[in-house]
Amino acid sequence: MSDLHRVMCVEDDPDIRMILEFSLATVGGYEVRCCPEGASALSQVADFRPDLVLLDVMMPGLSGPETLVALRELPEMRGVPVVFMTAKALPEELEELLTHGATGVIVKPFDPMSLPTDIRLYWEHGRGRLPG
Amino acid sequence: MLDPLPLEILVVDDILESRRALCSLVTELGHRPTGADSGYAALSLVRERLPDLVLLDLLMPDMDGFEVSRRMRSLTGGRWVPVIVTSSLQGEEHFIHALENGADDYLPRPVNPALLEAKLRHYSRVLGLQSQLSTLAQRQQSTLDNILDPVVTLDADGLVEEFNLAAQALVDRSGQPLAAGTSAQALFGTDVTALLAQRACSLHRRSGVEFTAEIASGRWHDDRGEHLTLVLRDMTETHQIERMKDEFLATVSHELRTPLTSVMGALGLLAGRAAGALPATAIPLVEVACRNGERLGRLIDDILDLTKLEGDRLVMHLRPQPLAPLLREAMTANQGYASRASVTLQADGLDTPLPDMALDADRFLQVMANLLSNAIKHSPAGETVRLVLAAAPNGGRVTVRDRGPGIDPAFRARMFDKFSQADGSDRRALGGTGLGLYITRMLVERMGGRIVADEVGSGASFSVWLNSRAATDRQALATVLHVERDLELRAQVARWLAPICRVDSAADLAQAQVMAAADTPRLVIGNPQAQGSAHDFCHGLRLLAAGEPVLLLGDGMDADFSRQTGLPWLSPAQDGPEGLQRWVQRCLTKPHAKEAAP
Repeated sequence: MSDLHRVMCVEDDPDIRMILEFSLATVGGYEVRCCPEGASALSQVADFRPDLVLLDVMMPGLSGPETLVALRELPEMRGVPVVFMTAKALPEELEELLTHGATGVIVKPFDPMSLPTDIRLYWEHGRGRLPG
Repeated sequence: MLDPLPLEILVVDDILESRRALCSLVTELGHRPTGADSGYAALSLVRERLPDLVLLDLLMPDMDGFEVSRRMRSLTGGRWVPVIVTSSLQGEEHFIHALENGADDYLPRPVNPALLEAKLRHYSRVLGLQSQLSTLAQRQQSTLDNILDPVVTLDADGLVEEFNLAAQALVDRSGQPLAAGTSAQALFGTDVTALLAQRACSLHRRSGVEFTAEIASGRWHDDRGEHLTLVLRDMTETHQIERMKDEFLATVSHELRTPLTSVMGALGLLAGRAAGALPATAIPLVEVACRNGERLGRLIDDILDLTKLEGDRLVMHLRPQPLAPLLREAMTANQGYASRASVTLQADGLDTPLPDMALDADRFLQVMANLLSNAIKHSPAGETVRLVLAAAPNGGRVTVRDRGPGIDPAFRARMFDKFSQADGSDRRALGGTGLGLYITRMLVERMGGRIVADEVGSGASFSVWLNSRAATDRQALATVLHVERDLELRAQVARWLAPICRVDSAADLAQAQVMAAADTPRLVIGNPQAQGSAHDFCHGLRLLAAGEPVLLLGDGMDADFSRQTGLPWLSPAQDGPEGLQRWVQRCLTKPHAKEAAP
């Protein structure tokens, strides 16, 4: 794992999924896989082998934090940074999210032109860190 | 004189002829008689017919008049039914005896019709007054009972005297229903002085529900002494509504941000040419959309903050920490915006040795982000925004200065107010919400600092003054405790006094007590308005001051009140910041403040 190539996005809103794909694939040049919910992300990790996971917080079914806990159980996820995306803006809420063991939080609305660089910074920062 | 109101009169006599004679006389006088031939018959008629007045023969075989009048008292309850005893016995001893046994009047036999008429007229008048009084009392009780908050009146010993219908649902600490004589201690779990100081209490209902009540109190006097009437407003619903409002706003802001993310994302990609080059004519249109989308996002953030700040529900996590790292972080966070606007960010004095400041790091970053983005926004391309950290008498000062057009003097006075911008066109052009400086000011004040717009020759300059709480020098750190219900006034006084002392602001005596316990004030300032009994409040201020000077500060007070309480008084409107600062300065520099206030 020498560079950031594959980014998995877990996001229930189809429009935001499209924006993410555009931003990360077209602008950022990453290989992107978008999943509409936590369960499908969990089932695709082994196949896709993401270098970083971008995870929405509020989703139907498994929530972001619940998905994170389940992701951490998978051997393929060892040392893979997970970054939350959230539309909640209160500092204390962001603080609370980081206690779940995420590497960082991207606040919505985000800038799609700088998102590829932003997640690369998180990747460099969080790479190799043990989960938890 | 008007005809007397016709009375229902019970005529009690065991001798048929004399009973009939008396009944017909009563009828002639315009009243309505009912006859009873024995004491027992009389008592059962009293119960059934509720007569207004009783004419009672003293001598009857089954029960004499003394016994009848005694027993009748227990049947009429709170209502007064005059009893006039009649007798043909000679001498007045038996009449005296009857009066001592509960009769109200006597009438010798044979009955003098003129005397009976005069007496009935008199009693009709008195009974009319009684009925008026009871109507009035009933009205007042109904008024009181229709106040949905419990209302309880205590006597000078702190015992319950009266209470309304809503208060009947209350039980004391041991589960006993509220009753006359219940002590304040048993009902509230605390004595009256403490109760009035804390302005709120927890109460228990018969149903077992415990609730928090806000207390409004009024003291009054009558011949029996001092009374204290307490209106206990159940705050459960208010608190619930506040919580719901917070949740609603959080949800709304989340729900608004989600579609905004798509809109801003799509626009950002278009503007960034990620979807290919745009026709030259489309570029300004996309820029307009981007700018306004960003503005919408800021409005959502600001409104959420504003609601929390104004409701005093924004939680501050104040922790002593160094300023410089936070300022570096703020510089980094705003670098992107500055680069896009072709503005250089420059920081000076970050290595100035300063004590740690008690700050909420996130909120301080928000303050700096507001000031820096404001400065960048108003800077022409190619200019520099300077951030300077410097030492100040009781802490530090952070100044953000730009080379923009500066602050319109006419705008200066209201620039830290809500929804204020220099002018409408500026707001539209630069994408502000008109809330930024207001929120910035509120946040700085909540962290115990103050913010001012500096007088500079060109451009605009804002300075945030922060107090260090790590220092121990009492003189330098002299704390003034300000007790004021009004949030705006609290903030205003904190601003006025920030250059000369530390100000702890409290909404009421209960909050103030907590603050005074943490940090002994050298001066206590309070406004008795909206604080319940003004005299109790002043007494509370004196207790807080523990011998240090006390000042009343508020408009609409009068010199009389100041004289009565023996406390000096200033008016913010008349004395202004200078007047208050002068007074406080004198107070704090006087070596023996305890002995003599200035």
